[in-house]
Amino acid sequence: MTLWRLEWLRLWRSYRLLALVVVFLLFGFAGPLLAAYLADLLESAAAADGFQVVVPDPVPADGIAQYVSNAGQIGLLVLVVVAAMALATDAHAGQAAFYRTRVPSAARRLLPRVVATTAAAVAAWTLGTVAAVYETWLLIGPLDAGAVVGGWALWIAYLAFAVAAVALAGAVVRSVAAAAGLGLGFMLLMPVLGLVPALDGRLPSALVGAPEELARGTAQLSDYAVPVAVTVAAIVALLAASVRFGDRREL
Amino acid sequence: MTAVLRTSGLVRRYDSGTGEPTGVLGVDLEVPRGVVYGLVGPNGAGKTTLLSLVSGLRRPDAGTVELSVDRRRVAVVTDVPEFEPWLTAAEVVALAAHLVGADDSPAAVAAALDQVGLGEAGSRRVGGFSRGMSQRLALAAAFAGDPELLVLDEPSSALDPAGRTAVLDMVLAWGRRATVVLSSHVLSDVQRVADVVGVIHRGTLRYQGPLAELLVRHVRPQWTLHVRDSAEALTAALRRQPWVEQVVAGDGVVHVRGTDLEAGERGLVRVAAATGARVVSLGPEEADLESAFLALTGGPE
Repeated sequence: MTLWRLEWLRLWRSYRLLALVVVFLLFGFAGPLLAAYLADLLESAAAADGFQVVVPDPVPADGIAQYVSNAGQIGLLVLVVVAAMALATDAHAGQAAFYRTRVPSAARRLLPRVVATTAAAVAAWTLGTVAAVYETWLLIGPLDAGAVVGGWALWIAYLAFAVAAVALAGAVVRSVAAAAGLGLGFMLLMPVLGLVPALDGRLPSALVGAPEELARGTAQLSDYAVPVAVTVAAIVALLAASVRFGDRREL
Repeated sequence: MTAVLRTSGLVRRYDSGTGEPTGVLGVDLEVPRGVVYGLVGPNGAGKTTLLSLVSGLRRPDAGTVELSVDRRRVAVVTDVPEFEPWLTAAEVVALAAHLVGADDSPAAVAAALDQVGLGEAGSRRVGGFSRGMSQRLALAAAFAGDPELLVLDEPSSALDPAGRTAVLDMVLAWGRRATVVLSSHVLSDVQRVADVVGVIHRGTLRYQGPLAELLVRHVRPQWTLHVRDSAEALTAALRRQPWVEQVVAGDGVVHVRGTDLEAGERGLVRVAAATGARVVSLGPEEADLESAFLALTGGPE
């Protein structure tokens, strides 16, 4: 039984992988459906009240935009909670002692948890994206394949950033709830910081809207070079800090 | 005898809020190889802190910890063992063995579980285990690493009498093949399994050495005499002896508490013979660790 297999069992037996997949798949199917029929829903609701609402016909980018919007909120929240459950390594003193006395290195203890959680998030995001693209194609029309792949890949960096943020939170505070709260707070801080003109479009949060912007053709993949570089650097820094805190923290 | 574990001037202070220093305040622990070392002291004496420092779970403010064995051959069992609830007992033991580079084959795992009486529970998830079963599983996980030094923090606390007996039997059995350091505030448990004891009180080590020596040095020797006839003359004669501290007599039984073991062993028979008492039996009352502990620490808290 290796630490890698342990993490697989953690995801599988505690239903955390299932929770992630269900949430992202749900939004993957629901997003394009809502985008396709939003106009009809609004028009019929308005007609019942004696109003007339004119809503433009949906375009394929609306399908992916709706999915990303939901995934970026509820999906991210679920990911942060799932990550905190794995990465708040000292939440239970007895378990922490079991691992610490056998694996003294925080890096060795943390790496499988970070990789497994990120892989689960990527799997869920991928399945949700496939569902969203398929249903968009069915209900609205085809999306540009290059744009979809580009947006999918950029979001992987964003998901890895979210997991790394929770890893640091788990190394700073002890309880699962505190780690989830701190991690979520950190993620919510990014768009706020993005309001600063000098940081606008340069932070990891700039990647959240990438799938929609690429699908609409309002941005090119190369436009995200800076936020991707910042995100990768932030992931490395967050994980390095997590290991440092993990090594220094006592039980 | 070489020491497996030695600490030198080990200090770890906590702010108790009372102004009095608490924690571990300069402990020189020396654990000889191949013994069961019982660390005794009341709650809050510093036992868990000391074992945490020894285990590397906390860092000392001052002093050193020296181990003469590889860290991977040191197994630590905390007072409240916890495991991932979705793992089976066999998986916990296999994981523990793998992490220290020991044999994690199904046969080795089954043997470790058998050793603690959990052979039938190997495929059960540990989330439903009782406290006693978790304690046994923690021991199996420790045994699976074939440790040279086994550190047990209050291994029998919160267990029912049967569970306590079982755990202490396991400690005794393991003590025949490796060094065991065990902390407890239940002195009778320590007296049952330990060869060497360390008495810790308010963060300092008040005694360290063989249990038998502790009992001889710090426990007032006591004897019980059963006599056939009136014990008045015998009682009066005993009370005049300089080595006698207290005599209590009644219903043909005389309890004598002395101040000096050797003087008592020489003098009791002589005094009884001199008074012509019809002695049916004479024997020592068993010295217990609790009495020694109270003598060392100045009474109950």
